[in-house]
Amino acid sequence: MIKVKNLHKKFNDLNVLNGIDEHISPGEVVVVIGPSGSGKSTFLRCLNLLEDVTEGEIYVDDQMINTPNVNINEVRQKMGMVFQQFNLFPHLTIMENITLAPVLLKKMTKEQAEKRGLELLRRVNLEEKAPAYPAQLSGGQKQRVAIARALAMNPEIMLFDEPTSALDPEMVGEVLDVMKDLAKSGMTMVIVTHEMGFAREVASRVLFVDQGVIMESGTPEDVFNNPKNERTKLFLSKVL
Amino acid sequence: MTAIQEWASDFYKCFIKEDRYMLLVSGVGVTVKVSLLAVFIGIFIGMLIALCNLSKRKSIRFIGGVYTDIIRGTPSVTQLMIIYFVVFATVDLDKWIIAAIAFGINSGAYVSEIIRAGIMSVDHGQTEAGRSLGLNAFQTMTRIVIPQAVKNIFPALCNEFIVLIKETAIVGYVGLMDIQKAGDFIKSATFIAFMPLIGTAVIYYVLIKLLTLLLRRIEKILRKSDVR
Repeated sequence: MIKVKNLHKKFNDLNVLNGIDEHISPGEVVVVIGPSGSGKSTFLRCLNLLEDVTEGEIYVDDQMINTPNVNINEVRQKMGMVFQQFNLFPHLTIMENITLAPVLLKKMTKEQAEKRGLELLRRVNLEEKAPAYPAQLSGGQKQRVAIARALAMNPEIMLFDEPTSALDPEMVGEVLDVMKDLAKSGMTMVIVTHEMGFAREVASRVLFVDQGVIMESGTPEDVFNNPKNERTKLFLSKVL
Repeated sequence: MTAIQEWASDFYKCFIKEDRYMLLVSGVGVTVKVSLLAVFIGIFIGMLIALCNLSKRKSIRFIGGVYTDIIRGTPSVTQLMIIYFVVFATVDLDKWIIAAIAFGINSGAYVSEIIRAGIMSVDHGQTEAGRSLGLNAFQTMTRIVIPQAVKNIFPALCNEFIVLIKETAIVGYVGLMDIQKAGDFIKSATFIAFMPLIGTAVIYYVLIKLLTLLLRRIEKILRKSDVR
């Protein structure tokens, strides 16, 4: 579904990604872990070209996306993204946040989108918040809405960029629960997170990224219980 | 004659006699007409220049920079006279429209800076969220960034509107009879300075006070999604 070949990313003179090769298959839940500054968020953001790629190739459904003749907006419609800072649209109600893109992009009529919006809000347990504004919600609620908003476009894959890092501890659980449900439903997911317990429980595969390369890749059991790479061992000894 | 009687007689001469108040009334009309049209032209030009200034292309940013630079670097009276006597010298347009264009061009430079600041005040995450949903740059700008920017820049834009109204007091230079010119005219006709000039000031003040109250109401409506 997503293929990454020799991905490099430079910010001015700083090499953030130094050659990443990765293949993500449909239905996989890939959790990306690693120390801060390792390039894991940049890797995720390159997947839908929120960062432009310095070198290398990214394929989505066998189509190379980092070339100028690709309509990136159409590619992004297949890839939902959830941000650390939620990034809900504060001038729109919760329902409008969810229906804006599908209606504007003519994927659904307003009625269809609102029906779907209610379904999604029910799924994240926030049905009664439809007419509220983002400022009236707690962090955990905002992030659940952000997930619903991304799902409204019926994406094939969901990208999560540290979705619980900006949350108060008592709200982390409610967001992770929604993500677990989503994983169970068979959604392809790529998740950058520091929640090791969650990674162990939900991931079908764990990637350990450091210094802009994938140091280790394997099932949660392999990576957490049997790390082969010295850096992985060091990192896990600090966070577990 | 007592002071009060003298005052009343001045008042009569300046405003009542020969229906002189009508000069001021039609002056208000001219000021309002010119200001309103100029505001719309100013916002339109301001948007264009702001987008130029925010462009990724250096050549386009250059155009915006030069425009702002020239307008800010020359007095508005000079600009008004150049537009009226040079640019539109041979064009058959109503005087007030030409004046409004001149003020609009002037205001556009200041409005563009206000709009640019407003757009930049919207968190970049908003743009990223819009783009990640598959909206294109234009849709993200018009549906997500600008509505939030408008709320942020509204007070500054109101201020610019008020400055503009007062700025139009120089349209007398191109022969338009606005509030200021009407007061001036009465002063020359009656040889009384106090009454017409204070009258002029009071009219401007009331006009701007009313406008401020109206704009406050609009701002409240714009802020309805904030819970503070």
